[in-house]
Amino acid sequence: MNNQSRRDFLLKSGYGLGGLALSGLLPGGGIMQAAFASELEDPLAPKAPHFPAKVKSVIWLHMDGAPSTIDLYDYKPELVKLAGQEVPPSFLKGIKTSTQGGVGKLFASNRTWKQYGESGAWFSDLLPNLSQHADKIAFIKSSVTVGATHDISILKLNTGGLNPGRPSLGAWIQYALGTANPDLPAYVVLYNGKREPTGGSVNWSAGFLPAVYQGTAFRPGNSPILYLDRPETEAATQQAENLSLLKLLNEKKDAAYPNDSELQARVRAYELAARMQTTAPEAVDLSKESEKTKEQYGLNDEVTKGYGTSLLRARRLVERGVRFIQVVSGPTDVNGDTRNWDAHTNLEENHGKHARVVDKPIAGLLADLKERGLLDSTLVVWTSEFGRTSYGQSGTGRDHNAWGYTQWLAGGGVKAGTTYGATDEIGLQVADKSLGVDTYDLHATVLNQMGLDHLKLIYKYQGRSERPTVVYGKVIKELIA
Amino acid sequence: MKRNKLYLAILWGLAGGLAGETIAATDLFNNPVSSIGATRPADTFNSPVSSIGSPSAPSTATTTPLAETKPLPVATATAPAPVAQAAPASQPETTTAATTPAPAVTATPAATAAAPAADNKTVAAADAQQPAKSKLWSYQPVKEPVQPDVKNKGWVRTPIDAFVLAALEAKGLNPSGDADRAAFIRRATLDVWGVIPTPEDVANFVNDTSPDAYEKLADRLLSSTKYGERQARRWLDLARYSDSTGFQGDQTRPNFWRYRDYVISAFNSDKPYSQFIQEQLAGDEILPDKQEGLIATGFLAGFPDNSNSRDLVQRKYQITTDMTDTVGKVFLGQTVECARCHNHKFDKISQKDYYSLQSFFANVSAVDNIPAAKGDIERKYEKQQAKWEEATKEIREKQQAIIEPYKEAALKYHNERYLTDSRESIFKPKEQWNAHDRWINHRLANVTGDDDLAGYLRDASNSTNNKDYSAEIALKDKEYKELTEELRKFDDLKPASGSLTISGVSELGHQDAPPSYVFFGGDHERKLEEVQPAFPEAITEEKPDIKPTGFSSGRRTALAKWIASDTNPLTARVYVNRIWEEYFGRGIVETVSDFGKAGQKPTNPELLDYLAAKFVKEGWSIKKLHREILLSSVYRQSSDYREDIAKADNENKLLGVFPRKRLEAEEIRDSLLVASGKLEDKVGGPSVFPPIPDNLGAAPAQWKVSKDKKDQNRRSLYIFTRRSLPYPLLDTFDMATAQEAHSKRDVTTTPLQSLALFNSDIVLGWSQALAGRVINEAGTDESAQLDRLYEILFARKASASEKETLEKFLSSHEKVVREKTADGKFEISIPTGLKDGQKLDPIRAAAFVDLVHTVANSNEFIYRF
Repeated sequence: MNNQSRRDFLLKSGYGLGGLALSGLLPGGGIMQAAFASELEDPLAPKAPHFPAKVKSVIWLHMDGAPSTIDLYDYKPELVKLAGQEVPPSFLKGIKTSTQGGVGKLFASNRTWKQYGESGAWFSDLLPNLSQHADKIAFIKSSVTVGATHDISILKLNTGGLNPGRPSLGAWIQYALGTANPDLPAYVVLYNGKREPTGGSVNWSAGFLPAVYQGTAFRPGNSPILYLDRPETEAATQQAENLSLLKLLNEKKDAAYPNDSELQARVRAYELAARMQTTAPEAVDLSKESEKTKEQYGLNDEVTKGYGTSLLRARRLVERGVRFIQVVSGPTDVNGDTRNWDAHTNLEENHGKHARVVDKPIAGLLADLKERGLLDSTLVVWTSEFGRTSYGQSGTGRDHNAWGYTQWLAGGGVKAGTTYGATDEIGLQVADKSLGVDTYDLHATVLNQMGLDHLKLIYKYQGRSERPTVVYGKVIKELIA
Repeated sequence: MKRNKLYLAILWGLAGGLAGETIAATDLFNNPVSSIGATRPADTFNSPVSSIGSPSAPSTATTTPLAETKPLPVATATAPAPVAQAAPASQPETTTAATTPAPAVTATPAATAAAPAADNKTVAAADAQQPAKSKLWSYQPVKEPVQPDVKNKGWVRTPIDAFVLAALEAKGLNPSGDADRAAFIRRATLDVWGVIPTPEDVANFVNDTSPDAYEKLADRLLSSTKYGERQARRWLDLARYSDSTGFQGDQTRPNFWRYRDYVISAFNSDKPYSQFIQEQLAGDEILPDKQEGLIATGFLAGFPDNSNSRDLVQRKYQITTDMTDTVGKVFLGQTVECARCHNHKFDKISQKDYYSLQSFFANVSAVDNIPAAKGDIERKYEKQQAKWEEATKEIREKQQAIIEPYKEAALKYHNERYLTDSRESIFKPKEQWNAHDRWINHRLANVTGDDDLAGYLRDASNSTNNKDYSAEIALKDKEYKELTEELRKFDDLKPASGSLTISGVSELGHQDAPPSYVFFGGDHERKLEEVQPAFPEAITEEKPDIKPTGFSSGRRTALAKWIASDTNPLTARVYVNRIWEEYFGRGIVETVSDFGKAGQKPTNPELLDYLAAKFVKEGWSIKKLHREILLSSVYRQSSDYREDIAKADNENKLLGVFPRKRLEAEEIRDSLLVASGKLEDKVGGPSVFPPIPDNLGAAPAQWKVSKDKKDQNRRSLYIFTRRSLPYPLLDTFDMATAQEAHSKRDVTTTPLQSLALFNSDIVLGWSQALAGRVINEAGTDESAQLDRLYEILFARKASASEKETLEKFLSSHEKVVREKTADGKFEISIPTGLKDGQKLDPIRAAAFVDLVHTVANSNEFIYRF
């Protein structure tokens, strides 16, 4: 069977049908292998990776708005020394800048810096809790990307495309590996704050992959999925009887089409939906978590409660076999405005607040995963669309920096306590450009930890064999244990 | 405001065909600044990440199996080149090395990008390993085939049937018998209108004993405006139609409903497809003095956009890329975009071909301020707008007064936010502008508003460290913000929908276009040779006949004429195949937007060519094409399961049975509306906002629910398309994504769909209304009620055994509902819209609502058979 018709077959055969037992896993993942009957039954049936995976789940921590990593991890004494002076032209070579606010004066914030752990990683005073986990982290201090505006770079961070339309990383993973828990989506998006992250679902879209692979946004509150709750007027007993009738009616109709797996899949989908009404709220219900755990994630503090809730939910989803959890950091009140990390002005207040929002919950997550023995099977990625410039903007902020910033990995298969790459002496551009890590490389590396070869993970679309890293990407082996 | 008016006046003149000095509006935004560093980054590190499509790791570009490599099927792994088609490799290929056609539009000397050229050769060499071949089937002229001889002549109602039957007979298979009339009319009404038929329509057709009953049905369906609505929706998929820009800001595009209505009306008036194409690609050139021609170019203007991009040069490239790729895919069924970064791996489309195609769009700017002719909608809008303007006049004047003294500084500050190469154009004196600068500055003016200027006050007053800080500025900023708050209080007074203007494309009154180049690796900062507008050499030897119009380059007219010409080998084939796919769920060419080598070959090439030739011969009449398919025996077949077909033709490629199909997202919602009697059947007008779930977390500005209940019950194609917020009820059923041309509706089956259909308050509300309608129409007899329900939803009566099942459910369910309400706390859902004087037992009625709701969730409703 060729790929096109096989893909159709997969689509038509629906969701959640049979074959979910972990036995009978298919080698190869994706659709590179010839058709297997059990796979055709269900586009979300679990599939084996290309090679043994290091981790079962990824928690993708997107710091929305782009933090200044030279104020968090990337200590630059030279920048402090040169603060207030024009940027020496040699540092600006080869980059396209905007002149607004004047590229010229280097800017240092009021940070104090210390080294932590055996690795001696630098942290600023903005991250007092996370710094305690220095030795769990592998830093990428040579991150680069395309940086014109947030939306383009966020799209690229999540999908590899500069225009909407490509599948997000989580969608590729769900496509390649299926689900490990049929009662929950395998790709979940979490956010705190009242609103969906700006740009919306395009950042967890399935792109050109079938829609079944898109991320499911779990909304803040008790009812995480759209339409999860029964209508107010309908009792559980009532709905159960309705569903029994529905099954009867469908089976009657479907009997005339004995080979029609799509019709049968629809019957099964209702059964799964009914189960999801219990499993999804349970997955995000924190009431049974211990006081200690809640404290660990900062749930007892109004400042950290929202983000901490997302991260504790993330851990619960990891426990339930969800493969990719994308957590977007929410906005907070800065100088009367609702702002994300995007500190063009007021960096001091902005980062002071945002760092406080995420510092304790992330530290809590790492500690909790470790205590529960989950850190080895989970990859935590701290990431953002770009960083911020060494030169100031508006006197009190920093502009966008796509030429050198820090991201980090922790967890399964990660060479903890290392640093890969470096920026120049003022933290503006990657020093040794052969060590630059683009989002494609990050994606390739994450996929690698999930047991997937980014060059072999393929989906045929519009006559092109598409892969997650477009035509780029390399696994950064130095980050891997 | 002021800027908009000025700008608008200019565009109108322009649209009317006036050439000459037309860009004065942008002056407001261009204060030439002495010297801004204009350095072109040559750094090898930076360029790989600075643009789309540039290889970041050279090693992957050459050594690793690229994305185009055929994924496994191991049998082909040893083949020398990834060639999907096994055509005889006899005819030597001569076109690839042919010289460039050089239409005399501009006389710019060729680019002098000598250095990277060597690199390009490496890429070209790596890619150009395809053996020479005869012309691809789809590039060869359409030849009207001879109708094949078949045994079962009685089955042949239209020539289509002969082509299908011949293939079946060759396999020793018989076609299926006719579907019963009720099933047929439900199928045809859904396919042509996108909604279920009424029981009356079903009865009339079933009881019509005249010999031309089917013809009458087809004509009735095709003459309804519902036909145009349904066809428009599928075309809007291809046009990546949206009422918003997309990206993070996702601003409302208030004019795009006009394009949607243009499409509906084009289908309803059976506008010849060839004309439909030309208007959408070049309406501004071809029909400059007709509103319709300008609106039609909304097809090109609908690209996803982010107005806050700081890199206008990159934006221009991305916009041009979107137009080129969309046109290639939609009209020609070609994946031309594959040749943006390197020569096409499968098709003989070179990078040079690709950028030659891009150059047709090189001079295209999007315009949003063309005044629309005044009708009811516009007058209503104007009246409401006037109220808002009157109420806010003072506030806005105060704001203007605050900004006025800072205008120059604010503009300079705003313009400096743009990146180096954008600033080259922005800060160039206007008299020195070339066509490229003109584009950039028009774009700048188009995306700069008063709020952007106010940004200067905000930033300058943010800190005493700012070089422009003063106590006075801080005060002004505070005042300005307070006024903005004040202004916001009047938002409800603004017109809720509609507009006074048209969005489309224009070449701004100039016939000289910016030069186009081949970009190394698709990186717009790495120019190679200059190219001129040309058609892909592999497809045609024809050269574009470009005639500048005096106000436009004429390039798109030339392109449109070629695409829409009777002899274009692709256009008609691609379109008839799309229509075929709508009816049969699978195209004759399964890859509906890829007629290249990597796409599928036609399962029935003679049928495809028959349809294409007939289509052109009939003057590109879309309705005639539909009619012939509707009246064919192939379409009339029963969808009943057949063991022999399942064995001999598992995927039913030969169409020995009629393929059943899950309803599309809009068909589900619209049919439920029809069933409930709530559909607000009105054609066209500004888009509407039905309610969305509370926990979706949409900002009020993104989704302001329509106040008028009737607007909430319009057909789904009138629902506002917001790129960042697809309407959830439709999104879950695989509706088109508006991010790029959407070629084919997927069918996925998920628990999230089940939840939506079962739990949504809106759907339950429709079930309540449907229950009420059933009782009104069938009276109190329960057996009659069940029959009526089935007639409405399934176009048939309930069988005796079904009735038994349903009656049993009702009795049992009545008890469940009664138990639930025993403590008096629980509310129940009862039928709504009942005629006066109906006396019902509320408990039994609530049980009946559940019955109706459940039947509406069943496979028989969600599918058409």
